[in-house]
Formats: sequence, C-alpha cells, structure tokens
Amino acid sequence: MAEKIEIDPITRIEGHLAVSVEVEEGRVARAFCKGEMFRGFELILKGRDPLDAQQITQRICGVCPVSHGMASVLAQEQAYGITPNENGRLVRNLILGANYLQSHIIHFYHLSAVDFIDLEAIAQYQGKDAALNEFKAWVGTQKASSVVAPGAPFLPRYAGDYLDGTDANITAIKHYLEGLRMRALAHQMAALFAGKLPHVASLVPGGVTERVTTQKIAAYGAMLQELRSFINRSYLPDVMSVAAGFPSYFKLGKGCGNFLAYGAFAESADNSRKYLPAGVVIGGRLAEFDPRQITEDVKYSYYQSASGLAPAAGQTVPRPGKPDAYTWLKAPRYKGMAMEVGPLSRILIAYLSGTDPEVRQAVDHGLNQLNRSTEDLDSAMGRHAARAIECKLVADQCARWLDQLKPGEPACVDFTIPRSGQGVGLCEAPRGALGHWLAIDDYKIASYQCVVPTTWNCSPKDDQGHPGPVEQALIGTPIANAAQPIEAARVVRSFDPCLACAVH
Amino acid sequence: MFSMTRRQFMTYSARLAAMTGLGASAVPKIGLALQSLASGQAPLVWLQGQSCSGCSVSLLNAAHPDPASILMRYISLQFHGTLSTATGDLGMAVLNANIKQGNYLLAVEGSVPAAMPEACVIGAEPYNKLLLRAASAAQAVVAVGACAGFGGIPGAENNPTGALSVKEFLNKNQVGKPIIVLPGCPVHPDWLVGTLVHVLKFGVPSLNADGAPLMFYERLVHDQCPRFSDYEREHFARFFSDEGCLFKLGCLGPVTHADCPKRLWNSGTNFCINAGAPCIGCSAKTFAQKASLPFFRKVEQIKDKAAGA
Repeated sequence: MAEKIEIDPITRIEGHLAVSVEVEEGRVARAFCKGEMFRGFELILKGRDPLDAQQITQRICGVCPVSHGMASVLAQEQAYGITPNENGRLVRNLILGANYLQSHIIHFYHLSAVDFIDLEAIAQYQGKDAALNEFKAWVGTQKASSVVAPGAPFLPRYAGDYLDGTDANITAIKHYLEGLRMRALAHQMAALFAGKLPHVASLVPGGVTERVTTQKIAAYGAMLQELRSFINRSYLPDVMSVAAGFPSYFKLGKGCGNFLAYGAFAESADNSRKYLPAGVVIGGRLAEFDPRQITEDVKYSYYQSASGLAPAAGQTVPRPGKPDAYTWLKAPRYKGMAMEVGPLSRILIAYLSGTDPEVRQAVDHGLNQLNRSTEDLDSAMGRHAARAIECKLVADQCARWLDQLKPGEPACVDFTIPRSGQGVGLCEAPRGALGHWLAIDDYKIASYQCVVPTTWNCSPKDDQGHPGPVEQALIGTPIANAAQPIEAARVVRSFDPCLACAVH
Repeated sequence: MFSMTRRQFMTYSARLAAMTGLGASAVPKIGLALQSLASGQAPLVWLQGQSCSGCSVSLLNAAHPDPASILMRYISLQFHGTLSTATGDLGMAVLNANIKQGNYLLAVEGSVPAAMPEACVIGAEPYNKLLLRAASAAQAVVAVGACAGFGGIPGAENNPTGALSVKEFLNKNQVGKPIIVLPGCPVHPDWLVGTLVHVLKFGVPSLNADGAPLMFYERLVHDQCPRFSDYEREHFARFFSDEGCLFKLGCLGPVTHADCPKRLWNSGTNFCINAGAPCIGCSAKTFAQKASLPFFRKVEQIKDKAAGA
C-alpha cells in the first residue's frame, strides 16, 4: 500500500514547486513534479516590438535573467543576420560568467547546504569570529523571544541526519554568511558592464551598450580575484566536506541517464565554438546535438494546445483544471526522451568531448579527491560536485576573457530589423540548456517560445507516460520519516530548480 | 529608544502615528512594531505570487546593512519561499501560525492572478486566497517591485491570467490595510530596506499618489540624468552604445520617477543610462503595459526611413 507524501511548497528553490511522492516499503515508487505558477510570457510577447524581447524575457527569472537576455539577443541576431564584435562577445561572456558564479554560490550555500550542514552547531561555537558570535547571540535571543518561529528563516527545519563535527559545521556557517556577500559581489562585478542586476540593461542585439574601459577591466579583475579565492578556498572544500559526510547521496538521485547541453560562452563571433560545448549523452555515449529533435508534450500539462510540437511551431493555450494534467510545465523531449540539463550535463559533455584538457583535469582532480568515478556524478551529490567544479572553471575563464578585452574599441554593432525573420537563441543558464525560438512578422513578434532548463528537469510525464528527470531521480529514494521527507527534498534541490523559468 | 519606559514609548508612538497620518487606532500596532524592532524581532512575512524572485535576489544585493544584518538586527523573516529552511508542511505551519498570530509586516512580491486562481497555488491553496488571509492579519503591506506594485509584465496587455497589483486586488476584495508600493523591476535594495526601516522606526513614510515613498520616487530620472546636458544641447545618440542623450532611442527617463541616477545600482556601481542603455521605465506605472509603447525606438526609425525614402 503506497503512502502519499506532498511536499508543498518546496522552499529554497526559485518559484512555485510542489512534489508529490508515493512511498512503498520505505522508498519512493512514483513521483510527480507540479509547477504551480503561470504568467503567460509567450502570449504577452506576441505582437510586441522584437527589441522588447531581451528585456521582457529577462523578467521570466530574477535568478538567471542574463541567460534569458542572452538567448533572446542570440535569436534576434540570427533573425537580423548580424554577429557581435569581439568586445561584445567577450563582455557578454563576462556578464554571463559573473551570474554563473552568483547563482552557483547561492544555490549551494543558501538554498541547498542547510539540508546538510547543522545550523544548530552554532550554539557550540567558542571562537572569536565577530560574524559567528553575532549569529550565535542572535539565535539565542530568538529562542528566548516570543516570535512565532524563533530563528527563522534558518529554523525550523526537518529533523534529519546533519553533518557531524562542530568544526566542519561552523566553517560552513561562516561561509554561508560570507557567501551572501560573495554572491552580491558577483552581481556587482557583472553590473560594471551590465548596468545593473538582476535584469541587465546593456544586452542588445549586436553586443552590449556599455563601453569597455581600463577602469572597468581593473575593477572586474579585482572583484573576480576575491571571488576566485572564495570559490577555491571555501566553496570547493565545503562541497568536498559535505560530499564526504553524505556518501549515500552519490547513490541517490540518479536521473534519467540522458544529458543535454546547448553550450555556452562564445569563443567565436558566430557562436559556433563555445567554451562549454553543445552535445547530448544517451546511454553513456556522446553525440552531436540536433535542435530539430526537440518537441514538447502537454498531455499532463494545463494546456489545450496540440502536443508534440517543435518549439518553432509551439503554442501556449492555457487550460487550468484540465483532466489528468498536474502541472504548468510542458514536457520537452529530445528524440522523444527525457533529458537532464544543468552543470552536470555540461561538465559531462565537456569531459567526454575532450576538447579542453583543463576541464578533464578539473573533473579528474575532483573525482580523485572524492575517490569517485564519473559514473558517481549522476547522483544528487554528483550534481553539487559538478556545479562547484564548473564554478571554478568559469571563474578561471572570466580572467582569460577579461584579458582579451580591448579598451576604447566598440562593443556593439548596429543593425536593422527586417520586416520578417526567424531566429533561435541557444544558450545555457546556470541551471541548464535554454532556448528561445523567435519569429518576426511585419516588424512585430509573431511567435516566441521558450524551452527552459527546469522545463526539461522538472517536466511531467510525456504523452507516452515516461516521467521527467526529477521524477525519475526521486524513484528509489528512501524516506525515513514521511512527515519530514528530507531525502526527497535533497534530491529535488540538487537540480537547482527554477520554476518561474520553467513555466514562464 | 532602547531605554524608553513604556509610557515614553507609547507617547513616542502616538507622535509618530500623528506624523504619518495613521490616526489613534494605529498606535498600538505601531507600538508593537517599535518594541519588536528594539529587540530586532519585527516579524516579516514574505509572499511570492506571480513573481520571478528578482526582487528577493535584489534584496540580497543590499550593501549597508547587508542581508545578514537585516535578518539579525532589523526584522525577523518568518517566512520566505526562497530562503526559509522550513519546507513543505513545516513551511506552511510557520506561515499559518504567523497568520493566526497576526501583527507582522507583509511583503508581497509578484502580481495576483485575479482572473485565473489556478495560475498560482501555494500549499494546495490558491495564492489569491492565501494573500487575502495573510493581508487581513498584517499590520501593513509592502508591495515589492513592479508586479506587486502595478501588475508589471504579468499584468501587461494580452496576459491570460488577469494579473493585478496587490493594491488593486486587496481593494477589490475590501481588505483595507496600509499599503506601501515600491515599484521597480526589480526593486532597488535601498528602496526596500530604507522603507522597512522607516516603517519600523518612524512609521509609514510620505507617499506619492501611487503609494510610493517620496524619499525614493519623487523626481524624474530625466531631471537627474548624467546625460541631461546632452539633451539640452540636442546631442542625441543615434544607435546603441553611441554617445549622447538616449531619448531618441526610446529612453523613458522623462516619464519615470526614481532616484537611480543618483543612487546607482549594485553598491553604487552603475545604472542603465550610465551603461548606455535607455531607461525602460521599470518603476513607472506604465512599465511594459502596452505593445504600443516599446522600450526602444529602433523599428520606428527604420520605418520612418523607409517612409521618407
């Protein structure tokens, strides 16, 4: 007899997700991801000026706006027949890269780590660090106070098996607090060229509106140095210590086993070469990515539009309350198969493609330290490890791209918008493959469809009844206490879900 | 303030209430806020409707005080979907216990899907219902960002959910609460933190007709613009990244009230116009509402050119 558990809402992710699991003999037998919020961006975009798109689509998500802006300008550039110049390409990489750093840091420390590290350990702190002592004193005051939830938003929490050892926990708590400043610093670094964050101002078809100056290069470099130090000395070691403390999570949360990346960080003006390459891995074998193989099913989604459409012909006709449907997410499939997207996919594809020895080196080094193989990466803990490794790699590349900037030279090319045209913008958000499909008619947007990372990962069953990647990853997860299903929450969060993105 | 007697405290609160036009009935509530501020425990509940979490992320970009100080010295963030450790039923229990007790500040991010309640659901409850419950029990409501403030992009032309601003939705449902509106896409962390601290320390700040604090939204972007002299000299940028006033590229600074040119974003680093990007009017009531008012003016130029040729 299956026991049904609703985790609703899943907090510490972006947006509105509920997960429903059915437990048999202590393990998840079936799982359902429910995206609970819909705005209708694709309908709102219709009939608007194409240049509105890179601003409007950024508002799909406040955590990864840069990626939506990028996908939109890439789609428009294809439609307008232009490519950015060198400075434009590099500055975009620097803005996108900076947002990867802020997103990966916030995901580990502020969204996920509190499922593993023991916040209560602060009560045992005996040292002299001012920030830790303030936190300790504050927790004490809160517990003696009359507020409804003392210690919120850090407490209360699920009962569970948290990390052993006061020192490791105290270190992680200190880095949680430092991480707050670090992720803001990454946004500040991006804003040098982006104008502001979240929701950047400077991204336009043809490049960026901001100019490249020596002062900006120096400022970005100084902030990047601080961030690289934090990533190398805090983030990576903390992921290692959580991984060492929770070896079972290298066996839990194994996904659908198929991986997809569109690739990101242009290394050539036409975006044909990317630092993180495009590719697919099916059955452990790397293959070339073919965008024509993408379709979206809606049998279990709240839409009455036709199922199985390619994004370029996609439709979004809402039908709340549709029988059998359980989510606002569509179900994207590649050659009819569920695909996992995200840092794990990107790192695996970069590793297997073997084009960059530094990627191989970083991954092998990480796996050696963890005493793990590449197969172990397909797991809840593997996703955290892959994300941290990617964070380091992208930070290193930002230093290289920064060196290539030419102060005083333009970062933008001019363009004309044709009466009609089409374009596809393929990019990678911090949490996975992101595509925008644009059609222009009479100078207006005729069609705009977005297939977003969490649309892939948190997708519902497809028309054939095959569950989505997170749903598959949950199957087999042991649940010790049905009232406090921390194991399932850990598996879901390892994907870094972003629901505002996924539904849009 | 920390050593006030109870009598001094109530007198002080009454003076504040009079100053901010809240009347005698509001005194006990503001008194409570002040007491809880003195102990760093003013409860705040944060709800997200049709939002992108960008305003939450922007709050985390606060510099002075930084987010850790805000959480430990100013407010007690009882519930926040993106930050609360408590998840699932445990998260809902915290939220519902707060609603039962009442007397918190309610911060709301995102619009309300008034015509399609299924378009936002939290804890198996339509968000519209949850918001009415939470607002009814709150001392005051802060509508954070363009979507909560004015409907924003979810409330733009052709939207399928009938998205409304928080104020419109609460008014429609006869929930009368003091509401402060903090437009911007996203909100600037200073606008939000400055307003929260003002409410807790001195009561509701002076507001404009839309309910936005004058201390942040009084003046037009255009009047404070670093490129104002270019405008006066009729030196206009002709294409993106060109020098000069951005007006002819569609800049909405002349119709947008906010202090971005003086305050700058991300710890004083930059802002849209400094980065060569026209102001898209994200703190204006009209932000993104109509296709007929696009952010940039490129297409019209081309059409004009074609028409003239």
